[in-house]
Amino acid sequence: MSLTSEPSSRSLPVSDMASVRKHTRDLFVRHRSSLLRVVGLHAVAAVAALVAPRVIGLLVDEISGGRSLNRVNTLALWIAAAVVMQTVVTWFARRASFVMGETIFAELREQFMGRVVELPLSTVERAGTGDLVSRTTNDVEALSRVIRFGIPSIFVGAVTTVITVVAALLTDAAVALAIVVGIPMLWASTRRYLRYAPDGYLRERATYAVLNGVVTESSEGARTVDALGLGGRRRRRMDDALSDCYDAEVYTLGLRLRWFPSVEFAFFAPVAVTLLWGGWLISRDLATAGTVTAVALYVQQMAGPLDELISWLDEIQIGATSLARVIGIADVPADRAPTGETPTDDHLTVDNVHYAYRSGRDVLRGVSLDLRPGERLAIVGPSGAGKSTLGRLMAGIDGPREGRVGVGGVRLVDLELAQLRGQVALVTQEHHVFVGTLEDNLRLARPEASREQLWEALTAVDARDWAEHLPAGLDTTVGSGNHRLTDPQAQQLALARLVLADPHTLVLDEATSLLDPRAARHLERSLAAVVDGRTVVAIAHRLMTAHDADRVCVVEDGRISEIGSHEELLAADGAYASLWRSWRDEPRDAPANAR
Amino acid sequence: MNQVIRLPVADPGTPPLTSPTAYLTWVARGQRRTLVLAVCFGIVWLVSQALFPAVMGKAIDQGIIGRDPRALLTWCLILVGLVAISALSGRFRHKYSVLNWMQGAFRSAQLIGHQAADTGESLTRAVPTGDVVATVSSDAMRIGGLYDVFARFVGSVVSYVVVALILLRASTPLGLVVLIGVPVLVGCLAFIVRPLQTRQLAQREEAGKLIGLGADTVAGLRVLRGIGGEHTFLKRYAVQSQSVRQVGNQVAGYQATLDAAQILLPGIFVLIVVWLGARFAVEGQITAGQLVAFYGYTAFLVIPLRTATEMVDRATRAHIGAGKLIKILAVTPDQSEPSQPRPLPQHPQQLIDPTSGAVFEAGCFTVVVSARPEESAALADRLGRFGAADTDARFDGTRVADAPLAELRRRIVVSETDPRLFTGPLREGLDPHGEHDDATILAALSVASGDDVLEALPGGLDNEVEERGRAFSGGQRQRLALTRALLTEAEVLVLVEPTSAVDAHTEARIASRLSAARAGRTTVVMSASPLLLDQADQVVYLQEGRVVAAGAHRRLMAELPAYRRTVTRGEDD
Repeated sequence: MSLTSEPSSRSLPVSDMASVRKHTRDLFVRHRSSLLRVVGLHAVAAVAALVAPRVIGLLVDEISGGRSLNRVNTLALWIAAAVVMQTVVTWFARRASFVMGETIFAELREQFMGRVVELPLSTVERAGTGDLVSRTTNDVEALSRVIRFGIPSIFVGAVTTVITVVAALLTDAAVALAIVVGIPMLWASTRRYLRYAPDGYLRERATYAVLNGVVTESSEGARTVDALGLGGRRRRRMDDALSDCYDAEVYTLGLRLRWFPSVEFAFFAPVAVTLLWGGWLISRDLATAGTVTAVALYVQQMAGPLDELISWLDEIQIGATSLARVIGIADVPADRAPTGETPTDDHLTVDNVHYAYRSGRDVLRGVSLDLRPGERLAIVGPSGAGKSTLGRLMAGIDGPREGRVGVGGVRLVDLELAQLRGQVALVTQEHHVFVGTLEDNLRLARPEASREQLWEALTAVDARDWAEHLPAGLDTTVGSGNHRLTDPQAQQLALARLVLADPHTLVLDEATSLLDPRAARHLERSLAAVVDGRTVVAIAHRLMTAHDADRVCVVEDGRISEIGSHEELLAADGAYASLWRSWRDEPRDAPANAR
Repeated sequence: MNQVIRLPVADPGTPPLTSPTAYLTWVARGQRRTLVLAVCFGIVWLVSQALFPAVMGKAIDQGIIGRDPRALLTWCLILVGLVAISALSGRFRHKYSVLNWMQGAFRSAQLIGHQAADTGESLTRAVPTGDVVATVSSDAMRIGGLYDVFARFVGSVVSYVVVALILLRASTPLGLVVLIGVPVLVGCLAFIVRPLQTRQLAQREEAGKLIGLGADTVAGLRVLRGIGGEHTFLKRYAVQSQSVRQVGNQVAGYQATLDAAQILLPGIFVLIVVWLGARFAVEGQITAGQLVAFYGYTAFLVIPLRTATEMVDRATRAHIGAGKLIKILAVTPDQSEPSQPRPLPQHPQQLIDPTSGAVFEAGCFTVVVSARPEESAALADRLGRFGAADTDARFDGTRVADAPLAELRRRIVVSETDPRLFTGPLREGLDPHGEHDDATILAALSVASGDDVLEALPGGLDNEVEERGRAFSGGQRQRLALTRALLTEAEVLVLVEPTSAVDAHTEARIASRLSAARAGRTTVVMSASPLLLDQADQVVYLQEGRVVAAGAHRRLMAELPAYRRTVTRGEDD
């Protein structure tokens, strides 16, 4: 069962529209009871709203019949009762619909996050977090309005429109026939609008994203802008971004300008048609002035709910594209199929491994490495030689294209994720401090750890001193927007987590690169003391790390060119030796240019 | 659509920063032509709608009850005409309202964008980047919102007056009910809007926290998936998500109250007007058609009522937005143009920093070593006149503080510890002023040992750099920034820790090529790397920010134990 990874797919999947529709349908089915309540309440409110026009119609007949004030008072009481009823029912209906929106939206975002944290490790490492963050923030937020307001509005608009039409038909079916004249116009112009609108609005959104990016860059890079005299360029870039926003806005404005007048005409012109048609029916004694008046008022009143219904259609379509990105997360295939095998020992081996990010361009070309349990191995070599890739394979994050990486007789990619974590863990220079207390940040590596163990882990990475001086020690809230840890502190935190997680093999990829050299070396030494007996693979650009290691492995151009202890490599007088000498500034004859 | 205006404008101008109201007035003045047009169309649009009931009433009186087909046809045609006028004026009202919105929003955004481009790091120090971006993405848009609703608001006021006058002519009590009733209702609704806004703000804050948590969890996902703890974080997200829902349910109550009030208050209105109107009609004071019209007017008044509520809401938001905008626009750059600029000497012999006592000979490759990197960074700031602190550095006898800023920036280029890359084609990123051909750019890239970065890019120099260059590793970014600094071909190039993120192999290559590439020009590098020091013409050693020794690297190594310890990074411990 070979696990060939697909490193080319750097982006996350997006669902197709059929799955979006199915997902939406399932959502409605799951919430059908609250949906029915919302629709039912709004239907009652809609019926109450129909009383006033009907009463006006009756009054018209009364007045032409010359009746008493008593009758007028009674009819006025009807309106009073209807207004009170509509008010009360509307309150419950609106509240129920907002609550439903909040509930559905909360469910959706929690489901989404639940899937995100289950994403395969290799996907997270490879795709980076940019796309995910944008789905978590922009797309979820874009859905917020549509789900909380749009979906209730669509249902309410539809129900109210239907009830108004039914009321008109019940009042006088013949007169109510006039309603149909507006439909063709509304249909044609709306269809045309909806064909172009979603793309237009998506383009708008994209242009605003660029605009925000330009401002972010200018602000974050303010010093660079000043130093290199880039102010004029940044200003021009801002103007260009605004110009794109303007073009996108003008395009959708144009669409609306073609659409709005026909909609408004289609809403109100039927009132005149109703009156004309009613007048003709009255002349044939097929209707009364009162019923014609009532139906005409109904037709006019229909504009409100109809408008509510169709004005959401474009946003619903745009929401669907965000939903496709949100639920698309579920389509990421699992990257490992555990076989259930258990490693027999802690011995990690790399055997003739090849790996490529793009087919035909192997980054690793036949690397073999036998880690001795408990040793400290340093991997050095020029940028782009494949050191980090090798580290990722050794940590079981990706599977090799060819060859195998295994521990205790089992391939790393055949292990359950939880099991893998007990074997080997990777810390890279990309650290992250979560928003939460320092304790939360540590405990995620070992939830059952005691506070003493947390302090021990901090001590092991030379972090006890600053941690004790934090405003509230372990209880200090850190992370974005709170007490800021420096980059070196964040790196120490990442290492402390590793100490707590305590796997038998640790892969450190430039894990101390942000500390100043002397502090880095001190940390490496105290860490070594704590993880004594564990295998440590350190990928480093500082030669001191190599000097302190049991063995040094030089990776060049996807291959291991030299391996051995520091002394052995110096004696061999190869690339490592010449680099070391120039760095240590020893014999002058060694060429500074290492290659 | 024929283009009335084109945005953004060439120059957004200089707004008054005295108060939010002054700012909003200034913006309005800048777009008065489209504001007036929008208001005109807004008035026509709403007044024509306000007249629908009058025409309906006539059609019912004469055509339906009076059974006069000609009159019915005439009034129906007038109604259709009125609908057409409303639809067309509505179209133009919308067009100019959107243009007004855009002018207000884009001009504000443009001012912020230019401010961020011109102010340098004093802006970053005063306001976090997130806040600067939020001013563009939300505050500027809210400012625009005020000018959008304005035309509808004026149209609403005029149509309300028209309806009140029509009713007054027909019946004094009815007219008075409307004339007095509408402002009272707006007042009542404003009462509900306030607490609703407070709750909405609370919900936005909670939702903002949730989004922050989500982004935080996702940003640290590699840690969570690699080490564990994802379920703790999922639970934390779920708890906050539920708290957003709870606050949302409270908002739902207030929002429902506002919606219900917008039914009840006009409903009472309708009740009074219809009841009184029906009594007048029975007594023969008004016709049945007029009663229908009265009902129509009161039903129509819902629109002005809602628009007035919206105006209150938007004006509040625009005012808050303008306040935030002003705060950012008020930030001034650290370094301003000297009042009496003196040009720098044409061929200076020395660059001198009296604060530290450092002297840099023209044409030399000097490396500054300090046990505390922030001290050498401060020296770089003084040479290039960066930051808020004063500088007494000088070029021979001329203080850099007295030089014209543009000339100084051109002649002394300081590349800081963490230089940034920007979105755009790589060629433009490396050579922003477009001064070099590809061969020169490639040569500089080779000096910075960045050839492999280029090789990995499918588009070569034309490849688009992603936002902040985030697709590159730290070491790659550093080498690209070094290339960019080299390509300025500045008379004096100051590089702060230019190789801190690259491996020893690469650093060795850069060190050997850098001094050759800068031969004959002044180069100052802040670094304690032996590979770079080995190439230096001169080494300056700082302690406590003062020069304690200067000379050849080899000599200092041999003679000065403290220097040796700094450079060998404590390996002898």
